[in-house]
Amino acid sequence: MVKQLSVFVENRTGSLLDVTAAIVEAHVNIRAVASFDTPDFGIMRLVVDKPEAAKEYLTSKGFVVRIQEVIGVELEDKKGNLNQMLSILAEQNINVNYIYSFVIRQGMAPVMVFDTDDYERAKEVLAAAGVKIV
Amino acid sequence: MIWAKEETLPREEIEAIQLTKLKESVHYIYERVAPYREKMDAAHVKPEDIQNLGDLKRLPYTYKADFKEHYPMGLFAVEPKELVRFHASSGTTGKPTVVGYTRNDLDMWLNNVARIACMGGATAEDVAQISFGYGTFTGALGLHGGLEKLGASVIPMSSGNTNKQIMFLQDMGVTLLVATPSYALHLGEEIRRRGLDPEKDLKVHIGLFGGEGMTEAMRTEMHRVWGEGFLCTQNYGMSELCGPGVAGECEELVGMHVNEDWFIPEIIDPETEEVLPPGERGELVITCLGKEALPLIRYRTGDLTRLMYEPCKCGRTTCRIENLSGRADDMLVIRGVNVFPGQIEEVLFKIEEIGPHYEIIVERQNRLDVMTILVELIDDRLLDSYAKLSELEKRIKSALKAQLGLATQIKLVAPNSLQRFEGKARRITDLRKDGL
Repeated sequence: MVKQLSVFVENRTGSLLDVTAAIVEAHVNIRAVASFDTPDFGIMRLVVDKPEAAKEYLTSKGFVVRIQEVIGVELEDKKGNLNQMLSILAEQNINVNYIYSFVIRQGMAPVMVFDTDDYERAKEVLAAAGVKIV
Repeated sequence: MIWAKEETLPREEIEAIQLTKLKESVHYIYERVAPYREKMDAAHVKPEDIQNLGDLKRLPYTYKADFKEHYPMGLFAVEPKELVRFHASSGTTGKPTVVGYTRNDLDMWLNNVARIACMGGATAEDVAQISFGYGTFTGALGLHGGLEKLGASVIPMSSGNTNKQIMFLQDMGVTLLVATPSYALHLGEEIRRRGLDPEKDLKVHIGLFGGEGMTEAMRTEMHRVWGEGFLCTQNYGMSELCGPGVAGECEELVGMHVNEDWFIPEIIDPETEEVLPPGERGELVITCLGKEALPLIRYRTGDLTRLMYEPCKCGRTTCRIENLSGRADDMLVIRGVNVFPGQIEEVLFKIEEIGPHYEIIVERQNRLDVMTILVELIDDRLLDSYAKLSELEKRIKSALKAQLGLATQIKLVAPNSLQRFEGKARRITDLRKDGL
């Protein structure tokens, strides 16, 4: 289980920087980050080492922040592995809303983070297929 | 051409008509409209006290808020069965401002519009396309009826659907266009975009504009788009007073002639409510003369202007109001529709996911008014997915559409990012410089 921070950001210069700067001030370490291009506003997703502390600090700075549980899976670093995980989910009709990966791995296997509306079942089918969930 | 002899009377005769009608109107309203009678009683003025035009200033004002308080028909002076028409415009909050007309009122109104159309160069030969939105708005049916009275052929086109507008202009040999000035500019540019030259390929040579003010910069632009020979005038009115037909520009293009035998204009200081000396700029206050269904005394229009009594080269002796220089209140005119920030506020306050602060930005894009409302997101639950955020955006837009009858743009911003005001909030930024 991975706790993810979602932060509301406007589509303007420096809006992501405002978030990362606050996270630095809160002495929190970023593990993964994702943001997608959207016209006016967007949601910046982050996985950090201390999500509650990060949320508390960001909220105090006026950000709108939500903590959500998402699924993190550890994949072997070899060709076709992501494809295989996604096909397990697709076969079971589990929709992936978005997916991104960790930024720092220090020689370890890559971790993918994804969100689905079918959280429990996704965990089950992945575990049953032998995919390592973090 | 001048439509009515009342437009060219010597000042003494105009004032004699005004005084006779004013005395009648004051008696009439005192007897029939309880809310105004109460105001007069509170001010210790009786109808008999009005003996000359100078006594007008002893009478209490009528405000837009009175319409709200006595919604829908509390200010009416006749029984409902005597009414033959209703119109309505947007009010300060939620409820519209409802106005009514007896058969005589309609006649008076449309005659006044005919005068104004005539001032603007219209004749019985004209084919007039009305590109105002129809419905309860007085502009469309007012110009429609006035132009018919004049003998022109009227096409009740309504607004929108540019292709159809252009097709009718071409195929019907339209000579006269009725629209808001911004829509006329938009339409002219669309015509040019289709490779047509309005001056050569169309017969349109008269524009009667209203619903919003036209600045001199807009008029210059209008000539650039529609051709130098295009005679474009604007006219003034508001539904409370009857609709269009209160005042209009003649071909001299120096201010709008007031139909003074039906309306007495005054200029006041909007703060102190004192009447200002002739020629000074302030808020326009209008007293209606001889109206049956909705006789209004000293109605605060909210429009800022000044009065000019100098004779006009056109031959009319009626006084003129200078082109409007703004509003005394927060009302915005968006694509000809009156919008009050209070109406927007009412909608926004009911939506829990956003905070109480907002900002309104009005600009012109492609000649058309675009209103963007900035609101602060406060509910973190919407961050589960982008879909939830856009659903909120859509929900705000459709609630505003239902309230205002206008499409708006919504911009969600971070909490605490909008300016906070300690005194009177200045939430509106109007970027329509010179109306362009």
